[in-house]
Amino acid sequence: MSAHAPSRSPAGLAPEVALPADRRSRIRGNPGLSGFLRRGTKVITVGVVAIAALSEAMPALADEAPAHSADARAEVTLRGDARSANASGPLAAAERLQPGTAAPPSDGLIVQAELRNTWRTKAFGPGVALGANVLLASERTGARWRGASRVNELQASLDLGAWQASAGKKVLGWDVGYGFRPNDVVQQQERRTLFGQTPEGRPLVQLEHFDAESALSLVWVNPERWRDDADQARGARESAFAARAYRRAGAADWHFFARHGRHTGASTGAAVSWVADDATELHASARAFERHDRWNDGGAAAGALLHASPWAMATGGGGVSWLAGGQWTGESRIGVLAEAWHDATAPSDRDWSRWRDRNRALVAMQSAPAAAVAGNLAWQATPLAGSLRRDNLFLRLSWSESPWQLSLDALWQPADRGRVVTAALQWQGDRLRIDAAWRHFGGPAGSLLAQLPVRGTVLLAASLAL
Amino acid sequence: MKTPLLAAALACVPLLATASADVAAMLKSADRYRTGAEHLQVETQVTVLQRDGSLDKERRYTVFVQPQRKSLVLMRSPAEAGQKVLMLGDDFWLLLPGSQRPLRITPTQKLLGDASTGDIATLAWADDYSGRLVGDEPCPAPDERRACVHLALQAARKGVSYQRIELWLGKVRHEPVAAELYVHSDKLAKQARFVMDASSAQVDQMVLIDRLGSNKETRVRYLARTPKQVPENWLNPMFLARNPSLE
Repeated sequence: MSAHAPSRSPAGLAPEVALPADRRSRIRGNPGLSGFLRRGTKVITVGVVAIAALSEAMPALADEAPAHSADARAEVTLRGDARSANASGPLAAAERLQPGTAAPPSDGLIVQAELRNTWRTKAFGPGVALGANVLLASERTGARWRGASRVNELQASLDLGAWQASAGKKVLGWDVGYGFRPNDVVQQQERRTLFGQTPEGRPLVQLEHFDAESALSLVWVNPERWRDDADQARGARESAFAARAYRRAGAADWHFFARHGRHTGASTGAAVSWVADDATELHASARAFERHDRWNDGGAAAGALLHASPWAMATGGGGVSWLAGGQWTGESRIGVLAEAWHDATAPSDRDWSRWRDRNRALVAMQSAPAAAVAGNLAWQATPLAGSLRRDNLFLRLSWSESPWQLSLDALWQPADRGRVVTAALQWQGDRLRIDAAWRHFGGPAGSLLAQLPVRGTVLLAASLAL
Repeated sequence: MKTPLLAAALACVPLLATASADVAAMLKSADRYRTGAEHLQVETQVTVLQRDGSLDKERRYTVFVQPQRKSLVLMRSPAEAGQKVLMLGDDFWLLLPGSQRPLRITPTQKLLGDASTGDIATLAWADDYSGRLVGDEPCPAPDERRACVHLALQAARKGVSYQRIELWLGKVRHEPVAAELYVHSDKLAKQARFVMDASSAQVDQMVLIDRLGSNKETRVRYLARTPKQVPENWLNPMFLARNPSLE
């Protein structure tokens, strides 16, 4: 850490949801370790070839012509996660009724290497850069190894001085919050993960303009999905035009956002980050949107036993999401971060009441076949994979003294008093970094966070920078 | 009775002005031994030693120093490669690799981070501090056999890391010899000692003792200083978030 600020994602809530087995396999669908090693995937091959080409061929060019340069980095990580299953919630109820309906959360072991390289040249006049970031990963859950590799970034950039253009797959994070970012409309990165790492970028075309005090970004994200139906392009996969204007005004950074999604329509937002005094930073962000993607149960009646999951993503109405927060850091190296937010894209309290009523009705079905009831209950875990309650409070305390960084945070949802508590410890050496973290989901029995499939997680990771 | 006092007081004004000008000239001279130009690229190597002398960590930084208190610190070591800290007057940003989001950081956060070491290495005393001559005295240990000029510096602007500095310069050439750096709460944060190169033309190494808690010793070596005027874009946090080439 070069400055005493939240570096990676502050450890907080990640809605770690063990999905029903059918859904889990549908989402992952990755080859096992042997398959991964033998076959790989086309996209990984492209990424690795790009990295290799940039690492090997381009430095040779760089030796011959100073107009070229290459920048290569790698990080190897070994990570283990131990997860404890929750004894309450719809998935636990399904498992009690019909053991084997949904696989319990299992411990995981991940071996991964993140390779990143950028090659730059001015041989063609304007500066041209080719960048790649590839994650080679294999994950062991239970007795099986699965490939979890991906290309995080693969992009070309053109440097025209004040104007910059990019195309390809790229990570593009916007907004000013830590626990929640209503205006992160391109990347839509998962927040409060237990272990921070580079997210998978989005396909995009980008044009930007910079001067000393301001910047303008115009982005077309997921251009290849412009003609897709809404059901094929939900959430961050939606094709959209987005713009961000940035202006520095003394101690404050102002950001203004606009987005037009193919099926979610228009949204506009603004954000500010202001350094109020030597120790305090305050930030706020808000976005008003015309429509949004949300989980929908298709109007499934509380007492209805269905043959297929009623849950699917659908297009919901408009709303306003916002966040307000601040952080204070003292000379004693203690830091405090506090945030409150309203996520209008999360299901409403009324939606969750319907969800709870259906859960109760399913559990009370004494005469129905156990397997059918268990399946219906397992499907009820589906919306737990998204944003849960609309209103949230987040508090994080941290202390750092090189090479140690310790943090303790809590997320609280006032609607049902559910909570997530996380403690994390990091040791950073010259090349080696050790991360340890513990997270516990809890609250009253009826709270959503107390009904997640996972009750707690312990993580240990060692990362080596090369 | 009042007239002679007034005359004496008026007679002191030019003397005070001369003393103030002398201090400013001394600070400019001391700055030249550490940096030397308005537009500059400074390569530094920072070695941190534990209280028992064992190696804690070693870091490499590239610092672009530009006029009007603008500077950009690039982290070069594997543990923090790709990280940058941008300082525009009293405003600071931290940029992390793999993120397209510059983080606004407070002066305290900057002070507590490793990047503040690079900041100390390129701090312009003449621009950021007003000075007062304390007097001639022996240099602090271990240079107590040399004659020094003792200056008391007070921050002349809001965002500097250290509110006041006690500075000792060589009496003849005004090269920096030692300093005590105090934070806003007036606690002694660091003690600094400056080691000149073989030709005594420039500061070769700065040795800092942390007095805020750890008592660790930090050695900052100036590996290279070259004139460098950076494009306007490089000092825009949103541009830096693109991870552009900064060579």
